[in-house]
Amino acid sequence: MSQRQRLLASATGLTAFLLIWELVLRSGLLPGTLVPLPSSIPLVLVAEIRDGVWQAMVVSSFRHYAIGMALGSSLGVVVGVAAALLPLFNALHAWLARLLRPIPPLAWIPFAIIWFGITPTAAAFIISIGVFWINYFASYSAVQAIDPGLDEVAAAFGQDRVDRRLFKVTLPAAAPGILGGLRAGLGQGWMTVVAAELFGITGIGQRMMEASSLLATDIVVVYMLTIAALYAVIDALFVVLQRRLLRWQPQ
Amino acid sequence: MNASARVLQATDLAVGFGDVPVLEGVHFGLEPQKLIAVVGASGAGKSTLLRGLSGLLPPLAGSVALAPQTDPGTRAWSMVFQAPRLLPWRRVRANVELGLEGLGLSATERRLRAERYLQQVELLEYADRWPHMLSGGQQQRIGLARALAVEPRVLFMDEPFSALDAITRRRLQQGLVQLRQRTPAAIVFVTHDIEEAVLLSDRVLVLGKERAGPATVQADLPVDLPLDDRRNAPGFRSMIQDVESMIRTTPHPADTAATESQVIEGDPPRSHG
Repeated sequence: MSQRQRLLASATGLTAFLLIWELVLRSGLLPGTLVPLPSSIPLVLVAEIRDGVWQAMVVSSFRHYAIGMALGSSLGVVVGVAAALLPLFNALHAWLARLLRPIPPLAWIPFAIIWFGITPTAAAFIISIGVFWINYFASYSAVQAIDPGLDEVAAAFGQDRVDRRLFKVTLPAAAPGILGGLRAGLGQGWMTVVAAELFGITGIGQRMMEASSLLATDIVVVYMLTIAALYAVIDALFVVLQRRLLRWQPQ
Repeated sequence: MNASARVLQATDLAVGFGDVPVLEGVHFGLEPQKLIAVVGASGAGKSTLLRGLSGLLPPLAGSVALAPQTDPGTRAWSMVFQAPRLLPWRRVRANVELGLEGLGLSATERRLRAERYLQQVELLEYADRWPHMLSGGQQQRIGLARALAVEPRVLFMDEPFSALDAITRRRLQQGLVQLRQRTPAAIVFVTHDIEEAVLLSDRVLVLGKERAGPATVQADLPVDLPLDDRRNAPGFRSMIQDVESMIRTTPHPADTAATESQVIEGDPPRSHG
């Protein structure tokens, strides 16, 4: 299958899906209260944008997302790399990590509210938790998997001082794994962003809850698609960055 | 032999991992521009010896004296590994500059030095490529340029040609013979190939062990043959046989068979790339 044929097939599949959805509703096979007409979505989006609601929600959610990502990713990478490099530190927190790891980010919502109230900080906190674990494990395994021969190269060429080895061998060698973790975190972050806002923090999630209580399913779908689009854009930008940083790898 | 002219002196050296010696009672000295080949069955501690001599492994007993490097911008020793072990995220040029970093050289000085040694291994036109774009033999030559660039007084070479095809190996052996006339470095050359040892060296150090336990030096044989066209020199074959017989008298054929495949395997798999 050529790339063009694949694109064509994918577009056909999506169009057919929307068409069937539209027809099922119009023919009365399914009541219109369950899902909105696909053809109504663009107009609803335009209305949301015209009222300024869409922009406000996107900016607000993006702020929670960005803060949570920055916090969770940086801490995850630092703690993960440190755990792989420092056996004592690793042993000290190994059981703690095993205990905390299975707790889903959303289970932290009660504490988030007690500690931070219904605030953007609470949302950022919840987002950062899921992102932290992904980056923690990705960085840890990436550093663990470094060929010990490369450390010997550093030692043989006078680059074995802790800081030199870290920046000249450890981090570049672990970069593919660390970047893979960051990318996975970018996706995980969007999943938690909506859930974190469901309990009333201004943002896409809150707007969706509001709309669903009014049975405005068309608005819900607008924001579902918004999340998908935002994620796609961010992921695509990240892949560009990743390719650039890893341009030394054989393609 | 004037001991003060030596750039390397091992005295009753024992090396190993943890506190278990792999090798003990190693005693030899090396003068500038000399090449000593280290041979022995697999598991006789050839690579361990290099790590002990260079200080990558601390001695368990005895001592190693390496002449200190007095010229600025150089290092006392450097190493060529069995696998090229280039840093894949650095371009060829930056790989050769690795050992020059932290020596107080300016960026221009580092660049010029790297280019000089890339020229010497005839790969200057590859300076701006990534290591993965080069063949195994080319990568190994970059590894050699990296080691030469720090202008060491002692160059350690750990089976540097063993992972290469026969033709490339011959070319690099020839290159090393020529290199020896240009560099003041003394070379410790580990190989499992006895012919290669006799071809390249001034002396052959045979490692081995009589029974279970640490290995030691079984023989230290001078190679009194002209370096040019040595393959065709009378006495080349008989010298190889002499060294071979020294190794054959070392028992533990089971050890040898069990570990021989490790040598052929070459590089450990890399997690990245």
